[in-house]
Amino acid sequence: MNAPADASVDVAVEARDVVLSFGETPALRGASVKVLPGEILAVMGPSGSGKSTLLHCLAGILVPDSGEIRFEGRRIDTLRENDRSALRRDRFGFVFQFGQLVPELTAEENVALPLLLGGVRREKALREARPWFARLGLDGLEGRRSGELSGGQAQRVALARGLVTWPRVLFADEPTGSLDSLTGEHVMDLMVCAAQEQGTTVVLVTHEPRVAAYADREVVVRDGRVTSLTPDRVPS
Amino acid sequence: MSVPLTLLGLLEREPSHGYDLKRDYDTYFGRGKPLSFGQVYSTLARLARDGKVVMDEVAPGDGPERKRYVITDAGATEVESWLAEPVEAEPHLQTVLFAKVVLALMLDRPAAAYLDAQRAAHLTRMRQLTEIRRKGALIDALLADHGLFHLEADLRWIDMTAGRLDSLAKLVRP
Amino acid sequence: MIRLGLRLATAGGREAVLRLVVIGVAVALGVGMLLSALAGIHALTAQNARYAWLNTGAAPSTVTGADPLWWQAREDYFQGRPVVRVDLAATSPRSPVPPGLARLPGPGEYYASPDLAALLRTTPADQLGGRFPGHPVGTIGRAALPAPDSLVVVVGHPPEEMAARDATRVSAIATADPANCARCVVGIDRDGMLLLLSVVSAAMIFPVLMFIGTATRLAAARREQRFAAMRLVGATPRQVSALAAAESAVAAVAGTVAGFGLYLLLRPAIARVPFTGARFFVEDLSLRAVDVLVVGVGVPVGAAVAAWLALRRVRISPLGVSRRVTPRPPRAWRVVPLLLGLGELALVVGHRPGSTDGQTAAYLSGFLVTMAGLVVAGPWLTMVGSRLLASRARRPAALIAARRLADSPQAGFRAVSGLVLALFVVAAATGIITTIIANRGAPRADSVAARTLTTSFWQNRVPEGQHRPAADDVPAALRSVPGVRHVYVVRANPAEPQVVLAPIGPGDPPPPEWWPGLISCAELSGTPEYGQCPPGARVVTVSTNLLLSGPMVAPLAGQVPVWPAVDLDPADVDRLPVISVVVDTDGSDAARERARTLLETALPLGSLPSTVAEDQSDFTRQLVQWQRLADVVMLASLPIAGCGLAVAVVGGLTERKRPFSMLRLAGVPLAVLRRVVLLESVVPLVVVAAVAIGTGFLAAHLFISAQMEYRLEPPGSGFYLMVAAGLALSLAIVASALPLLRRITGPETARNE
Repeated sequence: MNAPADASVDVAVEARDVVLSFGETPALRGASVKVLPGEILAVMGPSGSGKSTLLHCLAGILVPDSGEIRFEGRRIDTLRENDRSALRRDRFGFVFQFGQLVPELTAEENVALPLLLGGVRREKALREARPWFARLGLDGLEGRRSGELSGGQAQRVALARGLVTWPRVLFADEPTGSLDSLTGEHVMDLMVCAAQEQGTTVVLVTHEPRVAAYADREVVVRDGRVTSLTPDRVPS
Repeated sequence: MSVPLTLLGLLEREPSHGYDLKRDYDTYFGRGKPLSFGQVYSTLARLARDGKVVMDEVAPGDGPERKRYVITDAGATEVESWLAEPVEAEPHLQTVLFAKVVLALMLDRPAAAYLDAQRAAHLTRMRQLTEIRRKGALIDALLADHGLFHLEADLRWIDMTAGRLDSLAKLVRP
Repeated sequence: MIRLGLRLATAGGREAVLRLVVIGVAVALGVGMLLSALAGIHALTAQNARYAWLNTGAAPSTVTGADPLWWQAREDYFQGRPVVRVDLAATSPRSPVPPGLARLPGPGEYYASPDLAALLRTTPADQLGGRFPGHPVGTIGRAALPAPDSLVVVVGHPPEEMAARDATRVSAIATADPANCARCVVGIDRDGMLLLLSVVSAAMIFPVLMFIGTATRLAAARREQRFAAMRLVGATPRQVSALAAAESAVAAVAGTVAGFGLYLLLRPAIARVPFTGARFFVEDLSLRAVDVLVVGVGVPVGAAVAAWLALRRVRISPLGVSRRVTPRPPRAWRVVPLLLGLGELALVVGHRPGSTDGQTAAYLSGFLVTMAGLVVAGPWLTMVGSRLLASRARRPAALIAARRLADSPQAGFRAVSGLVLALFVVAAATGIITTIIANRGAPRADSVAARTLTTSFWQNRVPEGQHRPAADDVPAALRSVPGVRHVYVVRANPAEPQVVLAPIGPGDPPPPEWWPGLISCAELSGTPEYGQCPPGARVVTVSTNLLLSGPMVAPLAGQVPVWPAVDLDPADVDRLPVISVVVDTDGSDAARERARTLLETALPLGSLPSTVAEDQSDFTRQLVQWQRLADVVMLASLPIAGCGLAVAVVGGLTERKRPFSMLRLAGVPLAVLRRVVLLESVVPLVVVAAVAIGTGFLAAHLFISAQMEYRLEPPGSGFYLMVAAGLALSLAIVASALPLLRRITGPETARNE
């Protein structure tokens, strides 16, 4: 267990009774979860259970039909699209399963993207991005395009992008889903190391126990609700 | 494979003769490895000595086969805590897990909740093993990997079984 | 941010570059045409000003000065080309001098335009030079010529001679159009042409802007995954729109620059086309600084705005597209506006409004509603057509293409929607113009209307103190000119004049009993085409040119009039004054010009001799030029539509990259996939072209039936050739995108994308 990044804040992100439907199909039916600062939380559940949707709500990507989403105590589900975009850009990081690197940009430009979008000058942004390549074992790949990277390399670049802004929360959705076991373990290793170093909270959606084993704690999403496997233990 | 506890669980379902007990055990749990009568009676004798079962006179003047065994409160408590307590997360425990699930269904206990608790225990153990893998020496890491794979297999089985509880219940509860 | 947009735009690989190029090409075409139209407007105004001095006599200012100028301007012809002839006489050395002349020509002197001077040198005098008394003393300067190849002559006379003619006195040379042009000799319908050119300018830029909107939307959809990734890491919707629009804006800037280049290339060629009946001076075809600024800045800005607007409805979510929602199919009500528009035009056929304003309102609204109706009905028609194709398709390529079109007909139609309007307008214009020309156009060169030369002596044109000529005044040499078959002298009918205006058709009542001229039947028998006498008549009343045609009357091929008999003695008729001299030639240029020259010099009081064909030539020349303009519009619109299709094709290809790759891996030949892609673009293009052209012809037919009671004449092969050329060009543009198919569906696409 790691010391919380900011002791004054006792919850990093939380969802309270979130309800969300896609058209006629309900995805979340009153899901509630608290993520403590600095912890790595695994969100597990069968496919279709709504765990990715829960992550999207927590990250401000989707706005729930009812319920609250709070980040460091403040509600974010009531913010406008532009503000939520800014939040994602400056405070959150993302590592998803696929398709997140922009093929026209080089690897280092991809890593620097959140900074560039935030108005940081190009030179400065690239300077901040470069150290991540050595740190994640990607030396020499700065100028490559995503089509020229292997799966593991691409995920590590995505990880670097997720961490380049020193985010408060890193949201990972099946980060190793398209990788073989060895590569996947490597990526998870790096993610956990870096997160612990920076004191970043991690919300990790996965259906694989081996990946969930990297977390400090797990919750299960079933039928749109969040349950704990052991009701008498850590409150959910 | 915990034979005493399994027999005890069967007895909690209903009092039985030794012969019926062996037959039930072989049907549900003995697959390929039936219990011998000797093992059955010696186990029952030990259980009786520990106060977990008592014998019941059914028909006077019959041999040992006509004795009916009944579970005591102590025995029922033992079954209860055995079912509720997750098994130590280590390899080769699926037969024990299987027995627990079947018995839980027979006895109308919350089998799904037991499986959840087992999952939590497995995950906790996997967390420990992962920590060893990351930080420990290479040999320890390899052994930890081995354990992790088996635990993962167990969890897969738990998932499958959890999805089949209803069908299984129909089978074991006539 | 802009740099990021540029990186995205230029680093997207061959597909993105192709898209940029295509946008650039379309913009270049539109800008080139727009600039040409703008320059044309300036050239039009300049040419109009150039004509001004020739119409000095049209609205004579009150004679204020003491040094007036005698002035008579008329239109002569030579070998089918109009020659403007100005006869003038100075009353004092201070009389006003027309532009382009060093001084006023004195009696026996004349100035000729350069082309006329060249003709004079090479043509025998009895065909041309003999008309102008005296000798040339110089050439008219460029400043005074309406066109570089204009034929203009300014002949000097003594003032007494001019006083004896139908001339006016003016105290200043006109420098602008007169307010009332009823007596204008030459000129152009400036307001009409201005309106036309303005409409063309707008018509050129509209499809280009629509195309840019479509291309941007397609580009954004194609890049949905990338933009979704950027939205995920925190790009705002506005930032994403800016990035997508930047790409189109960059291409539009490049296209605008290329468009300027295209215009400069085309400029000399444009100047050579006589849109107004006369060519332009290349220097008149110029752009003002404000034009350059407005187009050079306005088009890229307009493109950026069009791109931005197109993206407003595209919401890129951070999650990209996970499910493809089939859009709702277009409903049948979409056909209603089209039917309404056509119905209104059909209604007018039977019930034409009385006033010109009412007619204009009816036709204009009918056409506009029809045009709007075409655009609205397009998606529904595409869907219906593709469903038909799907049900009848036997090959897999056709089935896939038809299903896809039927699935999203809006997208399929949107790529060619700009084409619809252009083709409709062009087809309608072509139909109308072709019909008018067929019914009222210039007669054939060997027809009686083209070979009969007539000079007339109207009573109100003969100045005081002068008389109409007698038969003896007709030069005898006329009859001996080789090629002249007969010379007829028509006398003035002393009876009360009645004006004949309505055209005479087969079923109509016979012409009234009065025509302006009289001729004896004996004389008339010489040329059967000039009509017959009723049996037993000795004298008949005839038209001044012995034909049933004139500027306002449609010539009827094969209709030989039977002139009404008049109860007069031929001997009495011989004593009447001459009202016209009609010369029947063999149709050759030499005979006609010789006869004309003789008549002009011998009978200066008459109207300048002309044939019916020449009188009508101005009108038909105008129509032919408008037809050319319409053709140019179509030729420019079709490639722009092709560009839109190419972008749609590429977008569709990359959207289905994975399924197509899988198909190829599974053994489907590349040719089948190519066929699918081609069909998806060819079918909407051809169907839309056919519907637009068909509707255009229908609208033209309705208009003509209502307004002129003609029947629609099918246009000549030139029109179909143009359509085919335009379609071929569009398809070539589409086909250029096909090589992408092989590259895109190669096995390497299954990789880390």
